Amino acid sequence: MEVSGKQSKGKLIASGIIPFAFLVLLIVYIFGPGSDVLDLGVPLPEITIEKVDFVDSEIQVTVRNTGPIPVEIAMADINDRIQPAAVEPDKFLERYETALVRIPFVWNEAEPYIIGLTIEDGTRFEKEIEAAAPALEPSLELVGFFALIGTYVGIIPVMIGLLWLPFIKKISKQKYHFFLALTAGLLFFLAIDSIEEAIDVSDESLAGSFNGTLLVTTVIVLSFLGLYYTGNKLVKRADSLKISKPVAIALMISIGIGLHNFGEGLAIGAAVGLGSIAFSTFLIVGFALHNTTEGIAIAAPMSRGKGLVGKAIIGKLVALGLIAGSPAIFGAWVGSFVYSPFTSVIFLAIGAGAIFQVIVVIMKWIRNEGDKNFSSAAVVAGFAAGMLVMYLTSILV
Amino acid sequence: MNKSRSKIIITSITVIIAMSALYVAFPESINAQLEGNIFATHTGGVITTTGEVIDPVYTTTTDPEYTEATVQFDPMEYLREFNYGTASTLPDGTTLREFTIIAEDDQVMEISPGIFFNVWTFNGTVPGPTIRSTEGDLVRINFINNGSKSHTMHFHGIHPAEMDGVFEIVGPGGKFTYEFEAGPVGIHPYHCHVMPLEEHIVRGLYGVYIVDPKEGRPAADEMVMVLNGLDMDFDGENNFYAANTIPFYYQNNPIQINVDELIRIYVLNMVEFDPINNLHLHGNLYNYYPTGTSLVPSFYTDMITLSQTERGIIEFEYKYPGKYLFHAHKVEFSEKGWVGIFQVNDNSQQDEKSAEKVEYGS
Repeated sequence: MEVSGKQSKGKLIASGIIPFAFLVLLIVYIFGPGSDVLDLGVPLPEITIEKVDFVDSEIQVTVRNTGPIPVEIAMADINDRIQPAAVEPDKFLERYETALVRIPFVWNEAEPYIIGLTIEDGTRFEKEIEAAAPALEPSLELVGFFALIGTYVGIIPVMIGLLWLPFIKKISKQKYHFFLALTAGLLFFLAIDSIEEAIDVSDESLAGSFNGTLLVTTVIVLSFLGLYYTGNKLVKRADSLKISKPVAIALMISIGIGLHNFGEGLAIGAAVGLGSIAFSTFLIVGFALHNTTEGIAIAAPMSRGKGLVGKAIIGKLVALGLIAGSPAIFGAWVGSFVYSPFTSVIFLAIGAGAIFQVIVVIMKWIRNEGDKNFSSAAVVAGFAAGMLVMYLTSILV
Repeated sequence: MNKSRSKIIITSITVIIAMSALYVAFPESINAQLEGNIFATHTGGVITTTGEVIDPVYTTTTDPEYTEATVQFDPMEYLREFNYGTASTLPDGTTLREFTIIAEDDQVMEISPGIFFNVWTFNGTVPGPTIRSTEGDLVRINFINNGSKSHTMHFHGIHPAEMDGVFEIVGPGGKFTYEFEAGPVGIHPYHCHVMPLEEHIVRGLYGVYIVDPKEGRPAADEMVMVLNGLDMDFDGENNFYAANTIPFYYQNNPIQINVDELIRIYVLNMVEFDPINNLHLHGNLYNYYPTGTSLVPSFYTDMITLSQTERGIIEFEYKYPGKYLFHAHKVEFSEKGWVGIFQVNDNSQQDEKSAEKVEYGS
């Protein structure tokens, strides 16, 4: 066996490569020059208007060729009335290429507009804007505004949630399990919420060729696997990193929630930037209530950390709160200033994957604590309560 | 060893995915910026762009190197082109006018710059040729169908049933001779009458048929305007409207006329889908002869409303030189192309310079 080792390794590699070689041959045969065997049917062109910005006396439209063939942008219209326009860099779009269509137009704030683009075969594609709002120009004032919103909906509520720590610390094991399960329920709700949002955005602004639902699924799984892998490494090395296992778990939960809050910030920033919502104080209150529950999720594992007393724990809690809450600020900045539906979908899906990973970690924690089947009254009631609390607070948003 | 290698692989895959995601998300910010040129629209907006301008200014070319269009259509030429056919006198003194009309349905027309459409044509254009005769003439149309579908020619007017072009369907490669006495006096449409009728009409199989009175009409600068629309995406709504097919053509290429000269326009409304169309003239009023059947005008107005195939003759003279709009006062139609300009020139006083100086609204 030892002698034929090299030979068998070579065979192994060959047997792995041969199917690939055939696949390449097949593709070359189908797409290769002079091969029109499979040229049946009529490929239909498609473009997608991904973004519409209202700037000074001008409407700027970001358009992407999302069809199977190259297209030429031939005409622009606003509310179905033909308008002269400029296309940058040029009007010929290869597959997946984008262009910026600039339409000089004196628009009125808060009015609805339908932007249409016609390609060379006369097909018209349109996008409806509910209320025109001036595109947000990055300014210190706006950066501060969004930082404040991010603080209100992200950092402060999480910190408030963390204040339950002393309470959770003093309760019995049963009640503690209840709170852990409650956390899992809360997070499960958040994950579904993120997925719904991601699919909404992809349905609204991403072309069919992106396979929105599958894109979301794939990114969720990748995000989950990536965090699961690094998370396990983190917990295993907890001792050498001079943090206790509960802190490591809390840290993972914070990171997961942070990724989710980034997506949430993105949604808020984008909504303001696109003028599709009126940003009311009521909405901020709703988000804040909703996110307070996230603090409990971090506090729950922390409460069982040994030797976590006094100032040490306060520092750690603040750090974890910032990790979980502050991404809302960055999300709001990105969402409002450099919004793109594609990145939005990606980040929302990453957030969902992160949360699923956190749920698995918490379930493991409960199992380690003694409830092998997750069937105790405390766990079942906790999970159910978590879902219910989130549903009820979500109505406020 | 294995662990660190797998770490490197995972890291590099993540980096590659992240970079490509960024490129897909923000390609325009990665592209280098070019120097800009200034682009002023006729709506008054001015922007500086590094890209291309899309503006409906029509050019005619059928050079295969530059265009996929096969139809060469010059709206300015069509405007004043009247076809009297090959005239001969029959033994009884009647004038015979013979026309050859060929129907096709594989032509491609550049409707608006960069927008191509498969039109169905009589003699290669939309609208088909303007057929003109005098009341009492014998009109003979040698009709040839070179299309891949059945077509006919149905004339409005007075003629025997078998000359009506409805039941005598002419199949691909077929021929038919239509023969009838020209009448009554006026302007009439002709169009294909094969089912589905709406499709055969909106694709372009129509034209104008004028019957002059025996005593003639006063001398004038005569024009034909077919008000039509095009449904490019087959959703039962017109995407373009125009006088003589090409949107905005006479706005970008004003029709040159003279002060105090009688202008006579034969107007035919061929717009489908929309129940009505209309015609408004700026800075003037016109005499309107519905269907052109009477030599006495019925209205003196600056606004007529026309339903499907409704038509008539309008006559006017301009008192003052300058630029005057004419357009549908159903403004949607004018913003989709049914708008034009009369450039009224004062040739008698060689006064053009002073006319050019006063550019209202520019």
